Amino acid sequence: MSTAAVLQKAEKASTLNEVCSVQVGQTWFGIPIPHILEIVGGARPQPVPLAPEFVGGLFHYRGDVLTTVSLRQLLGLPPKEGSQDMLVLECSGGCFGLLVDLVGEVLTVSSTDYEPNPSILDQRRKTLLAGAYKRKGKLLVMLDPDRLDPLRLSQHAASSC
Amino acid sequence: MERCLTEFETRPEDAALLDDIFRSVHTIKGTTGFLGFKRLEKLAHAGENLLGLLRDGKLVADRPLISGLLHLLDGLRSILRSIESEEGEASGDDSELIAELEALQNPALQLIGKLSEAAPKPVATKRKAQRARRAKPSAPPLSETSLPAPAVIEDRTQQTPETKPLIPEPEIQSAKLKDKPIAAPMASAAESTLRVDIVLLNRMMNLVGELVLTRNQVLQATAADPRMTMLSRRLDMVTADLRESVMKARMQPVSNIFSKMPRIVRDLSQVLGRRVRLEVEGQETELDKSLLEAIKDPLTHAVRNSLDHGIELPEVRAAAGKNTEGTLKLRAVQEGSHVLIEVQDDGAGIDVAKVCRKAIERGIISNERATQMGERELLQLIFVPGFSTAAAVTNVSGRGVGMDVVRTNVEKIGGKVEIDSRVGKGTTLRLRIPLTLAIIPALIVHSLGQSFALPQGSLSELVHVPAEEAGSTIEYIEGAPLYRLRGNLLPLVFLGQLLKAATDHAPEPRRDNFIAVLDVDGRRFGLVVDGLADPEEIVVKPLSAVLKNIGIYSGATVLGNAELALILDPGAIAAKAGVRISVHEEALHSADEQESGDVHKAVEYLLVEVAGRRAAVLLDDVLRIEQLPLSRIEYIGYRPVLNFEGKLMPVEDSGGLLGSAQIGGDQSKVIVVVCRERNRHVGIAVSQVLDVASGSELFESGTQQRAAGVTLLKDHVTGVVGLSTVPPLPSSDGESSEWAQVEEAIA
Repeated sequence: MSTAAVLQKAEKASTLNEVCSVQVGQTWFGIPIPHILEIVGGARPQPVPLAPEFVGGLFHYRGDVLTTVSLRQLLGLPPKEGSQDMLVLECSGGCFGLLVDLVGEVLTVSSTDYEPNPSILDQRRKTLLAGAYKRKGKLLVMLDPDRLDPLRLSQHAASSC
Repeated sequence: MERCLTEFETRPEDAALLDDIFRSVHTIKGTTGFLGFKRLEKLAHAGENLLGLLRDGKLVADRPLISGLLHLLDGLRSILRSIESEEGEASGDDSELIAELEALQNPALQLIGKLSEAAPKPVATKRKAQRARRAKPSAPPLSETSLPAPAVIEDRTQQTPETKPLIPEPEIQSAKLKDKPIAAPMASAAESTLRVDIVLLNRMMNLVGELVLTRNQVLQATAADPRMTMLSRRLDMVTADLRESVMKARMQPVSNIFSKMPRIVRDLSQVLGRRVRLEVEGQETELDKSLLEAIKDPLTHAVRNSLDHGIELPEVRAAAGKNTEGTLKLRAVQEGSHVLIEVQDDGAGIDVAKVCRKAIERGIISNERATQMGERELLQLIFVPGFSTAAAVTNVSGRGVGMDVVRTNVEKIGGKVEIDSRVGKGTTLRLRIPLTLAIIPALIVHSLGQSFALPQGSLSELVHVPAEEAGSTIEYIEGAPLYRLRGNLLPLVFLGQLLKAATDHAPEPRRDNFIAVLDVDGRRFGLVVDGLADPEEIVVKPLSAVLKNIGIYSGATVLGNAELALILDPGAIAAKAGVRISVHEEALHSADEQESGDVHKAVEYLLVEVAGRRAAVLLDDVLRIEQLPLSRIEYIGYRPVLNFEGKLMPVEDSGGLLGSAQIGGDQSKVIVVVCRERNRHVGIAVSQVLDVASGSELFESGTQQRAAGVTLLKDHVTGVVGLSTVPPLPSSDGESSEWAQVEEAIA
């Protein structure tokens, strides 16, 4: 594909994106497919005492020890009993796991439906979420793996303290 | 080339060495001229001229000349570095250096230099001959005939100090002849080797680590299935071999860092006015590359220290009746899973009284303490940060950031530093470095229902405090828990409380406690855990930065049962729990014990009691001590055996303990010491385990023959249990023939 063609495509008003939907509590969230390395069902991460709250524990993934982030804890929901689904996400800082209640299906969304974060959102959530897609009946709240990177989260936590 | 030059200084007659140097300078000159690096070429040319004269025998290599050549080397190197980084020759003026080199070519100047050097020269020549003889014991006839040679050289150099060429002595020729065939296979070795990217090696190491983990899991999963046992054992063997090979691939000889030392020693000894001879031993000893990097600085530091504080000025040495030339010995040797690096000097040694005075002066210890402390304990004080005995701060050392840095750096990589010093005789510093970093032995402990790995390196002993005793033996001073360990108070850290970040220091509920006594950075404390599991070889996996920031974990690992375990960092735990660096008597005492054990090569024994008699078992042979119900002991015919970790093990019952315990019914317990004897395991039934003590060998009076089978333990002659005398299990038929075969396969 020539550079011109790429540029043209980027400029085109409606591009289609594939996102994976995940459920935490009552909300459905979307995660861009290109960032997902693997989905692990029924993960039981090993808790890490003294770790920051959002850390869901450690998970052994293909020879590496992944730090997992619990989306529930991040959103201030009570921890869920039993196993959870985990997505292995790749961000600029490396890999980490994201613990969610349930992994849904892969959806195709159009960029025309995209809406940035509403201004009434509190500051903490604003830093976590990356806008939303207006879908039929429901909103799909987008997550940005780069913002969920444990290192970034800990820096945020430190600065807000 | 640097090594060649310093070697050349001690052996100025060695034409082969000179050729080597000449060749390298010539190569530099040739290539740089071709590539158009004018400045480099000019410098190399000046050097080559000088070397040419030297080679033709018009000049004799002496100290100023070698200095000049070393300067040349430095000059060349700095230009090369700038070319490397900036891809261009940095402009600069070398005229001074070139002038120096030219001045050295001037024979008149040379003569003056030589006259001042004339006196020490014979010493050097003689020593050289001695060394040559020592280095080539395989050619006795030649060395024998060359015995008078040193005298000849001596005469020549003294009578004709002018630029008369040296006639090669027969001995030197023989040395050269002997060197030649060694050089030839080296060349072919280069063809059979391969350069491998370090990244690839690291990746291989990781994968092998993975394999080790999988193997551990397979071994645990198949332990119950006899059919799989052979297979998994084979997997075990192959994995172990593979691990060893990959580790070997990462190994590099310590000569990589030792080779830097001659130059450092040479330069420093000139600055400090010392006369020092460097002896290097065990250059071929190998160490993991990353560890080699890590000990470079501590080692350099130790060498500098030896030169500055250790070896005295020549006049002082002469006054003390010592050879004016000090000896600095660097020795590397592998001992089990560690590499021992020794820096030994024959200098003044450390004056313990002086150390003591300084320590009191700086408020590190109190007066009363000082009087209680033994010599060895006082010696340890030099590792305390900010301690220096140097009378004046020089630019070499004396700022008091010396030995503690050495110790911190070495401990960081899981090593240990020991020191041994005698006033007037010299000091020996020993660095004990583990062979590899990636796979470490660790003890798995339980707390909060989770497993944690505790590196064995800092673990000194384990104490079990039964539930009923916990209340009385764990004491509190203002809420700070303490335990009386052999009469000394040991600060305790409850792992469970530390991890829960609990604020209440209420006494733990009554239950079994295990105290892991840890020794780290000179701090000694007991870590209280809920339970102990097996020691395991763990593969260290890095943690993400977030978790590393917590501070008390140094990594994570996957255990044999596929469970993840966090690796605890004992140093960080001590810091977090507020355990101070203490020059605690107990800590020193143990270091003392350990050291003396090393020095005297004393052997440690496990002292046991068998039916009222005392007996000893070599501690190195002991794998573990099991207390188990009598019903676990089974019999093949009349021989007691124990099913131990799925394998059958003969139990030696010399005291008839099992028989007498039988009367007590099946509920009674026996203590079995599980030992390793060559390839098999042997159990020894004992009534009681008493202590661990180091024993010394006994000699028969008169004959001075070593008495076998007995040792002197705590001033009592004690019999050592001979494990090899335990007969092997019958391998023939019977209900357990399968086990017996497995047993035999191992043996």
